[in-house]
Amino acid sequence: MRSGRPLLVLLCLCLCCCGGGGGGGGGSSAPPTPACGIVGSGAIAQPSGTNWLLVTVNGSECNPATTDQAGYPDKPCVSVTICDPSNPGTCQLVSDILLDTGSFGLRIFYSALNVSGLVLTPVASGGGSLAECVTYADNTSDWGYVALANVHLGGELALSVPIQVIDPPSLGAIPGSCTSPHTGPGPGGAIPAFYNGVLGVGPLVYDCGSACTANPSALNPVNYYTCVGGSCTLSTAALVSQVQNPVTFLPDNNGLIVELPGVPAAGLPSVNGYVVFGIGTQANNVPSGVTAYGLNQFGEFATSFNGPPFVAAIVDTGTNGFLFSDPTLPTSGGWFNPSSSLCLSATIEGASGVPASVVAFQIASLASLSASGWVFSNIGASGQAGFFDWGLPFFLGRNVYIGINGRGGSTLGAGPFVAF
Amino acid sequence: MKKALSLWCLGIGVWAALFLWPGPARATLGGSADSIESDRIMLSAAQGVVTVQGTYTIHTMTSGASTFREYVAPSGVVFALAWDGALTPNLTALLGPYAGEYQQALSATPRQPGMRNRSVIRTARVVVEQWGHMRSMHGRAYVPALVPQGVDLDEIR
Repeated sequence: MRSGRPLLVLLCLCLCCCGGGGGGGGGSSAPPTPACGIVGSGAIAQPSGTNWLLVTVNGSECNPATTDQAGYPDKPCVSVTICDPSNPGTCQLVSDILLDTGSFGLRIFYSALNVSGLVLTPVASGGGSLAECVTYADNTSDWGYVALANVHLGGELALSVPIQVIDPPSLGAIPGSCTSPHTGPGPGGAIPAFYNGVLGVGPLVYDCGSACTANPSALNPVNYYTCVGGSCTLSTAALVSQVQNPVTFLPDNNGLIVELPGVPAAGLPSVNGYVVFGIGTQANNVPSGVTAYGLNQFGEFATSFNGPPFVAAIVDTGTNGFLFSDPTLPTSGGWFNPSSSLCLSATIEGASGVPASVVAFQIASLASLSASGWVFSNIGASGQAGFFDWGLPFFLGRNVYIGINGRGGSTLGAGPFVAF
Repeated sequence: MKKALSLWCLGIGVWAALFLWPGPARATLGGSADSIESDRIMLSAAQGVVTVQGTYTIHTMTSGASTFREYVAPSGVVFALAWDGALTPNLTALLGPYAGEYQQALSATPRQPGMRNRSVIRTARVVVEQWGHMRSMHGRAYVPALVPQGVDLDEIR
């Protein structure tokens, strides 16, 4: 498989990426032809109706201090309004929330909820408070309690959603098993998160599922804790108490569509797009011209890059590049750093093996691009062989449908699926 | 009863070491044949989990959606570990004698905002890789100096 690849890349270089070379060039080279996964730029129309939320990649919904100034490209931000369910007139608008199709549930820093009188009471658990440690593969985590909140997402309202309030005071000592918890939005602090919160709107409902409903034991470790008097111990969490995808609490609750404009190969400072809630539930979310790919129990489809094997894959606005393994590509600072732009492709398959299609994409050197802006359709990072993460660049110039597990109601069938 | 007992042994010997016990695990990376003998006895009692691959053996333990594998050289030394599950295991326990240098290397490795779904930490003696996403976390750790000759690192998955 590998022996055939240099030729393929060379061929693609000539066919797709003429003019993209030059490495550290910048503005002088001719732009690539609008092919190989790059869709021309242009604003997209604001959806009709009220079931949508503004997304800016970098741009106005992001805090510049945790975004451009922190060297964070391809960061999709939204603003959400959080209200106390027992006092629903007391609310706060919070911006710099990461739109994340790669996780499930809303998490917001306690420090970002500073409106006077806004109190989100922890969900009770075993005579104390229900807490959680969510871990990420970069060794960081989000630690905090679970609380119910009313959440306004654009023009729609989700009532009494279990969310996570990150890094609250006086919850208790952080368990040792919760490694490197984010210490704040940043950019300062020991372990900045670089966001005020995360809006996890991936294809599953619960952030842990049945693994966390059985008694924690040596054979069944869990995410959740009960905190009593400043001491936190592993605990079960019923599904109803787990942090959940807030889209499932909306009137249009069977999925969502992420709509972002295309970005030319040179990049842009920011772009605006939309999340439309529901699939086939209103005039503005009727599926059109897309193919659905079914997902497994982990919300994954399959991807093959450079031939077999197929590995686990997700579409993930919360990762800011194509993340995959290619030991032949040079890297710099964690990013792929080819001397000239590459046209690559991978095969995507539904979890059942069908349908299948080939997706082309470009990888350029972020270092050679970054003077042009903060939003790029052609950046990627080196990952491990068992995982292909179609990050934010995949979404630029596509409408990507996320069908939520167990929810039907559209011509695309029941979730979980992704469609594009 | 015997099955229940063996499951209990499996849990205490491995999962407890990984997720619950703050102290050193029993079957950590680099552990000797003697130190892991009790685990091996328990493992061999659990649902046909020991497989031979070339010159080494893989001890696979499964719990629900989670699996954990020990790669044991002919000498009995655990030269690699790999895991798939809903959670990231407690690496401090997992890495045993290598935990200290791992923590140092982790602190010295700059984070990349937006790239939370992978990490590679290398010290002078050990390599720890993680990948995956919420509800599907994966990783492996190996000691290059202990990997038997002829073993392709791609086999450790």
